[in-house]
Amino acid sequence: MSESIVIENLTKYYNNFLALDNLCLKVAENENIGLLGPNGAGKSTTLKILCGLIRASSGTASIDGINVAQKPEQALSRIGAIVETPEFYPFLTPQETLRYFGRLRGMKGDELRGRIKEVIHLVGLDSWINVKIEKFSRGMKQRLALAQTLLHDPPVLILDEPGLGLDPRGVVEFRQIIEEVGKQKTVFFASHQLTEVAQICNQVAIIDRGKLLVYGSIAELEKKYQSLEHAYLELTGGVA
Amino acid sequence: MSELEKLRVVIGYEFLKHIRRKRLYVILGLTLLAEAAVLILLPALQGSYPDNVLVMAAILTVGPSLAAIGAIFFAGDAIAGEFENKTGFMLFTNPVRRTTLVIGKYLAGFAAVIILIIFGYLIITISLLAIYGTVPVEMLKSFGLALLYGASVLSITFLFSSFSKGAMGATVITLVFIMVISPIIETVLMLTDNPHWFMLSSAGDSIATVYGGYELFMEGLPFGSMNGGMPFELESPNVGLTALAMAIYLVVGFVLSLWISKRRQLA
Repeated sequence: MSESIVIENLTKYYNNFLALDNLCLKVAENENIGLLGPNGAGKSTTLKILCGLIRASSGTASIDGINVAQKPEQALSRIGAIVETPEFYPFLTPQETLRYFGRLRGMKGDELRGRIKEVIHLVGLDSWINVKIEKFSRGMKQRLALAQTLLHDPPVLILDEPGLGLDPRGVVEFRQIIEEVGKQKTVFFASHQLTEVAQICNQVAIIDRGKLLVYGSIAELEKKYQSLEHAYLELTGGVA
Repeated sequence: MSELEKLRVVIGYEFLKHIRRKRLYVILGLTLLAEAAVLILLPALQGSYPDNVLVMAAILTVGPSLAAIGAIFFAGDAIAGEFENKTGFMLFTNPVRRTTLVIGKYLAGFAAVIILIIFGYLIITISLLAIYGTVPVEMLKSFGLALLYGASVLSITFLFSSFSKGAMGATVITLVFIMVISPIIETVLMLTDNPHWFMLSSAGDSIATVYGGYELFMEGLPFGSMNGGMPFELESPNVGLTALAMAIYLVVGFVLSLWISKRRQLA
C-alpha cells in the first residue's frame, strides 16, 4: 500500500518558539489516523504545513508523493481540508461559496451543480442553500466547511477539530459522515476528543511539544495502556 | 485548469463581493453628494456659476477624486481581511496561486473603482451640458488621470493590506498616507521650491489641473488672481510627470503587495 502523507523531519519555529521538532510520520493510503496531543503540541502547525498555509523551517511534507512546499497547487488539489475554525464570506450563500471553490478546482456545469446538492444534503444544509452565510451559526459554518471539503471528492481529508461548535446531534452526524467517506479516503484527523478519534480512526499519533511520542493502532495502545485515554495521559505527562 | 481561468473565477466572485457590500453604494452616494454640494453651493454663495466651463469642470472633479479615494475602502480588507477574518483558511487551501488570488482581487477592486469614476464623470457631463450646453474635451484627459489615480491608490492600499494585521489598520494607514502625509510633504516641497510631482497628492491634483492649471482654477473663483496673498508660488503639476508618478505607485505598490502576500503565512 502506498503512502498518502509523508512527513519527514518537519521542524517549525515561530520566532524562537519550537512548535515542531523533527516530526516524522507516514500515513498509508485509505488509512484513518487521529492526531492527538495537548494544546500547543503542534497538531495545527502540522496540518497547516500540509495545507500549504505555513512553511516549515526545515524538513518536508508530501501528499501523494507531491512536496507541498515545492508544488503547493498540485498537492492541494489532492486534499480537502478544515483547518482551525474556518470562516466564509458572509455575503455569499452556501451554493455560491461551493460554486466558487468548485470552479477554482476545475469543476463546472452539471457535475458541479449535482455535487453541490449532494454535499449540501450530506451535511444537512438543504434548506439553507440559498441563505447568506452572515446568518449562519458556528455549527452551520462547520457543516458548510465539511461540505466544501468533500465537494471535489479528494483522496485525502485533513481535518482539524471538525466537530467544534456543533451540537451533540451534529457531532454524531459529522462522525458518521467522516466514518462513511473515510472508508475510501485517507483521513488525517486532529482532535482533543479521544472517543471521537477512537470511533473514526484505526491509528493514532500522539505528539507533544512538536515531537512524536507514539504512532500505532488504537487496539495496540489499548492493549498496552488499558485504554486510549490512559495511553494519552501517560504519554503526555498527565495522571493516568 | 489554467491559472488564467482561475483568475477569471476569482475576479467574478470578488466583484460580486463589491456589488453585495454596502460600501460601493455609500461611496456612490458620497460622490453624488459632493457634486450636488458644488452645484448648489456655488451659485448660492457666488451668485452664479463660473463663466468658463473649464473652471466648472475642474471644480466638479471633486466627485471623481473622491470616487478614486473610494478604492481604499474596497482594498483595505482585500488581503488583510483573509487573515484577520480567517476566510483564508478556506480560500488558501484551494489549488490556486496566491498571486492569482491577489491579481483577481485587484482587478475586481479596480472594476468597482471604474464604476465609481464613470458615475462621477457622468454627473459632471450632465451638469455641464445642462449649465453650459457643452463639455470640454479636456475631460477625457481628466477621466484617464482619475482612472490612473484610482489604480495607484488601489495599489498602495493593497500594499498596506498585504502586511497589516487587520483590514481597519490597512484602511486607516492608507487614508493617513494619502490624505495627510502626502499633502504635508507636498506642501513642504512647494514652500521650499522643490519639485513635488512625485507625491501622490500632487498626482491627484492633476485630475483637476489638467483643465488649465491652478491659474485658471483660481481666476475662476473670487479669490482674486493667482497667488493672491499666498507665501509661495503655486506651480501646476506637469500632467506627464504626474502620470508617470502614478504609474510608478501603481506598479511598485502592486508588485510589493504580490511579493508580501505570497510570503505571508496563515499561522
